[in-house]
Amino acid sequence: MSYRIPIGPYHPALEEPYKIDLVCEGETILEAELKVGFNFRGIEYLAEQRNYIQNITLLERVCGICSNVHTLSFCRAVECLAGIKPPDRAQYIRVVVAELERLHSHILWAGIAAELMGFQTMFMTCFAIREKVMDLLEVISGNRVNYAMNCIGGVNRDICDPESILSGVDALEKEITRIVIPIFTTDRTVQARCAGVGIMTKQQALAWGTVGPTARASGLSQDIRKAAPYAAYDRLDFSVPVENAGDVRARLVVRALEILESCRLLRQALHDLPNGPWRGPDFVEVAVGEAISRIEGPRGEVFYRLTSNGSEIPTRVRIRTPTFANMPAVCLMLQNATLADAPLIQASIDPCYSCTDR
Amino acid sequence: MDFNAIPVQVGLSQPWEKRADGLWLVAPNLDVEKLTAWMIAHQARFVTMTAQAGIGRECRMEYHWDIEGQLLTFVTQTHKGSIASISALCPAADWVEREVHDYFAVNFGGREDIPPLMLRPKDPPGIFSPGGGKKS
Repeated sequence: MSYRIPIGPYHPALEEPYKIDLVCEGETILEAELKVGFNFRGIEYLAEQRNYIQNITLLERVCGICSNVHTLSFCRAVECLAGIKPPDRAQYIRVVVAELERLHSHILWAGIAAELMGFQTMFMTCFAIREKVMDLLEVISGNRVNYAMNCIGGVNRDICDPESILSGVDALEKEITRIVIPIFTTDRTVQARCAGVGIMTKQQALAWGTVGPTARASGLSQDIRKAAPYAAYDRLDFSVPVENAGDVRARLVVRALEILESCRLLRQALHDLPNGPWRGPDFVEVAVGEAISRIEGPRGEVFYRLTSNGSEIPTRVRIRTPTFANMPAVCLMLQNATLADAPLIQASIDPCYSCTDR
Repeated sequence: MDFNAIPVQVGLSQPWEKRADGLWLVAPNLDVEKLTAWMIAHQARFVTMTAQAGIGRECRMEYHWDIEGQLLTFVTQTHKGSIASISALCPAADWVEREVHDYFAVNFGGREDIPPLMLRPKDPPGIFSPGGGKKS
């Protein structure tokens, strides 16, 4: 006989408010149903009431973790309509901030995943390492969460001392390589807890439109930084880790390897940082039309589409966040899983409901 | 992939408009189900859909697909506030259609039901439409 377990919208197993109804038979999940919208703020509508400059501040608040990718996506769409090419130094600084953001997002997620596996020490270790990434972001931007780095046509702050950031990245990489990577890629407890759990096949990943590390852990190789490069990514050398198992462990491994690739990108971007201007123009005229911008955020592709009527206020701002694309597939991953694995499986896509609901 | 061959294969005579942000094609009478079937058969990824309020009840509808990293945007419009649903063919479109219904009250033909995604069950849909979202 089957029974229904409602979890949420506010529950200790969930990071943010959403509701998941599980239909179980014994300990096995037969079906899962998701309800979102508890964080709905109408940000797309609000963005259509504000000018382009005000919108940068608004859109930075779509997400508290990947705030930078939202302003970067928006600024790139405006730059496309205004025909502006940011200076080279700004493009490299954008890479540095984006990769530091990816680092802190992935390490935060690793900590949460460790906690859900019952690995409390690793949770504390990950959060201690993440603090150091946030310290670097604070040195660059003056902020730990909403960095306010992007402006239309450039960045708001220069990186005055790339050497000090480089030494911080080196120290971080040593610590990550020594502690985090071996545990997440080879530890027996992690393997036992994650291997074969929450499987999504490559075909399912494509049919459900999944993106980012979630899709790459199921064998889809797309990364927007490679497929449609932006900022300075086309001038930097990096690999896109792909796993084929499609389970929680594969998602863990992809993110762990991406942490190392981010360190590699940071070192190159800081080393090659070109001289020259970094600010955007003081005045921007946005032409009539539509523009799309895609960015590879920590959780996957962030999609912005903008419509302008030539005034200082956009007439349509469409935002599709990575969790919006990934979350429906969690229902697939939960089918035939055991109830005790449900928190880990839903967390394995690194969900963000603030982003999803906007 | 020969992108120039795609319009003909999905029953369109218009050519692509090549822009910095991808390939765009405006087709007011686009058969969205035929397009979706072709896209799925060719391993394309459904990125999302963008709706924008037009005149009266109508909406401009854009279907964004990705093939091999190339972004393809098909622009069409609703007819009497409706357009065919693609969620039966493409599960990735389910949440997007529900969201578009919430924001612009677009009806998606062929769906058994369209429960709200961002709104609560008794909220009136169309909150982003001009004058929309009011309880009757």
